[in-house]
Amino acid sequence: MAVYKRTYKGYEGGLTPGWSRFLILPRYSYARLFQSKVLLMFLAVCAIYPIGATLFLYIAHNLSFLEALNIPAWRFVDINEKFFVYFCNFQSTMAFLLTAIVGPSLVSPDVTNNAMPLYLCRPFSRTEYVLGRMAVLMNLLAWITWIPGLILFCLQWNMGGWAWAKNHLWIASALFIGLFTWSVILSLIALAVSAWVRWKIAAGGLILGIFFAGAGFGAAINAVMRTHNGSMIDIAQMMSTAWGQLFHYDSGNGISAAQAWSALAVVSALSLWLLSKKVRAFEVVK
Amino acid sequence: MTVPGAASETRPVQSAPPPIEQSLVTFDNVSRFYGEVLGVNRVTLSIPPGITSLVGPNGSGKTTLMNLMTGLVRPTRGEIKVRGASTGDPERLFRIVGYSTQFDSFPKGLTGFEFVYSFLRLFGDSHADCEARAWKAIERVNLVEPARRKVAGYSKGMRQRIKLAQAIAHDPEVLVLDEPLNGLDPLVRAETIALFREFAAAGKHVIMSTHILHEVDMISDQVILLANGYVVAEGEISGVRSEISDHPIQVQVRCDRPSAMAARVFESDHVVEVKLHVDGGGLLIKTRDADRFYRMLNHIALEGIAIESVTPADDNVNSVYEYLIGGEEATR
Amino acid sequence: MESVIELSGLGVRFGSRDILKDLRVSLSGRSIGLLGPNGAGKSTLIQALLGFCPLSSGTASIFGNDIRRQQKTIRATVGYMPENDSFIANLTAVSFIRMMAELSGLPKDAALERAHEALFYVGLGEARYRTLGTYSLGMKQLAKLAQAIVHGPKLLILDEPTNGLDPPARIRMIKLIGEMRHSGNMRIVLCSHLLRDVEETCEEVLIMKQGRIVHYSNLEEERKANKRFVELETRGDAEGFADAMTALGCECASAGFGRFKMVCPEGFDLKEIYRHAAMKELQLRRLNYRRDTLEDIFLKAMES
Repeated sequence: MAVYKRTYKGYEGGLTPGWSRFLILPRYSYARLFQSKVLLMFLAVCAIYPIGATLFLYIAHNLSFLEALNIPAWRFVDINEKFFVYFCNFQSTMAFLLTAIVGPSLVSPDVTNNAMPLYLCRPFSRTEYVLGRMAVLMNLLAWITWIPGLILFCLQWNMGGWAWAKNHLWIASALFIGLFTWSVILSLIALAVSAWVRWKIAAGGLILGIFFAGAGFGAAINAVMRTHNGSMIDIAQMMSTAWGQLFHYDSGNGISAAQAWSALAVVSALSLWLLSKKVRAFEVVK
Repeated sequence: MTVPGAASETRPVQSAPPPIEQSLVTFDNVSRFYGEVLGVNRVTLSIPPGITSLVGPNGSGKTTLMNLMTGLVRPTRGEIKVRGASTGDPERLFRIVGYSTQFDSFPKGLTGFEFVYSFLRLFGDSHADCEARAWKAIERVNLVEPARRKVAGYSKGMRQRIKLAQAIAHDPEVLVLDEPLNGLDPLVRAETIALFREFAAAGKHVIMSTHILHEVDMISDQVILLANGYVVAEGEISGVRSEISDHPIQVQVRCDRPSAMAARVFESDHVVEVKLHVDGGGLLIKTRDADRFYRMLNHIALEGIAIESVTPADDNVNSVYEYLIGGEEATR
Repeated sequence: MESVIELSGLGVRFGSRDILKDLRVSLSGRSIGLLGPNGAGKSTLIQALLGFCPLSSGTASIFGNDIRRQQKTIRATVGYMPENDSFIANLTAVSFIRMMAELSGLPKDAALERAHEALFYVGLGEARYRTLGTYSLGMKQLAKLAQAIVHGPKLLILDEPTNGLDPPARIRMIKLIGEMRHSGNMRIVLCSHLLRDVEETCEEVLIMKQGRIVHYSNLEEERKANKRFVELETRGDAEGFADAMTALGCECASAGFGRFKMVCPEGFDLKEIYRHAAMKELQLRRLNYRRDTLEDIFLKAMES
């Protein structure tokens, strides 16, 4: 007979590669997030437009089917950048709402419960922490924005043939860059808000507020000062101006694309700075 | 001293004539419930002046007891008198009681001095008077220099001390302190304990809760043990210990011939167990009669066994706590 | 003995205030107590060792790894239990500890095994599927300890581990620390205001004051008994005891409540005390040579 005394034992096994560890955070976050019915329902709603767009594509390439139904086919002829701009506009709004739902619970539990030292005393840096938390949202946003966008593009490529693809390949990169940038901006703002505002509902409200208030004040400044520079605090306007450059159209808010891109860069930098104030192992007491 | 249950027959009748009652804090069959939640139940106590430690697990009713004697919480049943003043008479009570709670809650933006001063003003005394008394209290807790700074920037130990200053500022006769030593470094701890002793020596009450049992042994005149809202024991520590008759008293003896000593002590019927130390330099003796044992020890020493040291192993609050309340599971 | 922590001129400055000044020492004990009054810089030292705050001068190393350049290596070998409440309220204990283990680099399955093991080890086995938000103060402390040991660190840093614990929980924590020390594969640094905790768990003490080291020693060696000083506690008629002892050539002072402190002459036989006690029917409830307690060591260090 053997007697095993339960004592403390060290760990001798292998370790995971360091670069992959930031992905641990999203895994644990999803386990918790997907318990929420609201989120699941919202994600289902987000799929409606891409499914509709797929049907549209299919029908546009099968006009004989329409003729069989006696529907005039002239409205469906051209699939060009406009089709994708509509897609971007709609899905980016959904992305924005999703951010307001998921964003508030990203960083605030760790700050409220003082868990930061526990993460950072491990071989896990502040950058990795931010990357990990960002990945939670970026991944979700990808599945409702640029991934379905590129799938649509590929479908169109498949059905429209090489000639169409050759002429419209720039749309794919515009689609990806445009929506990816939007996801980054949304994620950073959500993280910064979540790091500073503890109460979830307030944080969600604030995320919405940053965009709506920005739009409101921007419009007010434009009206009073008779300029276009007010739009610089309207993040959605900035984004659509940037998209205008990517998709070769004029957004019509009188701001140059360079201004828009730099304003977006400033917003990101500001969010990162706010985050860095909270994502640290200890509070500096003066 | 009494241990309810263990010695209920021999419990002294508390026929307190008025002048003595003026110097006691008494609980007469006091219960307090929060809805269905039990705070304390059927507590009857009479606490003499001096340092009294309240000891018990978290949630055993220590804070409730303190809230009751400072009038912050009214008893569901029973009556409490603090040096003759009923807790239903706040005007009188607040003048004789000083209370420092366990929680760090301070009005925003106040300096340490303003915190103590504004509390004193509540009594309606003049500005000059309050200022002088506030500084006096701050001096006593050794916080003069930081008192001009905002409380928000204080360390845990400084917050504890400014709360103490507030509690003693109006010169109360009864100090009630909830974990006053928690977070204090060894130096400040010693200073604060000295301050308590000063109060006790002046015939005042210092009633404090603590988790650090070995300190209770050294500083308090009497101890009150609480568990699940009931008073499990009260009185002087050694008195409480000798009431617990179902646990024999343990004594560590270091001597040159432990086996010879073991054989010798086993001749007496009050010695129930002897354990030799593994290093061969001493033994642990359990006896049912401490008085007879120690008298016997004198003679053993003279019979030629060289005794190097004698230490009671369980005549302390730690043991009393373990015997009466027990080492409860951490996963409660 | 292998050095655990080596400080070489370590300095830390916040703004214009020097928090740590030119610390130099090589710590090698299995368990090291870190002591000092509030504001002495104990917490800052721990944070500097973990790489949380920038150094203004010098450096330090843990198991030979430089804290400036090999932060990741160090953090992989260190377990840290912070002073304040730290946890994630809406996770169960198991997933919290498991996540922490994974962040330290353990693969998923190993992390799960060790999370359960660590929780059983600290005594939270029964409660390991509950969310941390429902834990009592003592349980949260234990969960904090579990996250600090789950990845099998070589050095465990504990900041005030017994703060706020009630007596059974405190005894349990002290017992666990002692066991881990004896397991032999972990070094421990313990920071506490309770000298008794340090006395019960540590081999060595490092005492700090105003950002400097004022004392570093092996406790066992410091605590050598002094055979000339005797402490006594009596019960019964102690009247005339002091006089009788003085007559025997001792200096004897009463400390009240039947307690006495004596300074005995060279070669004094304790039997003489018993002779007097037997004659007077006096009970000697306590008799021992005075040892330097950690409190004495601490107070001496503070005066320097």
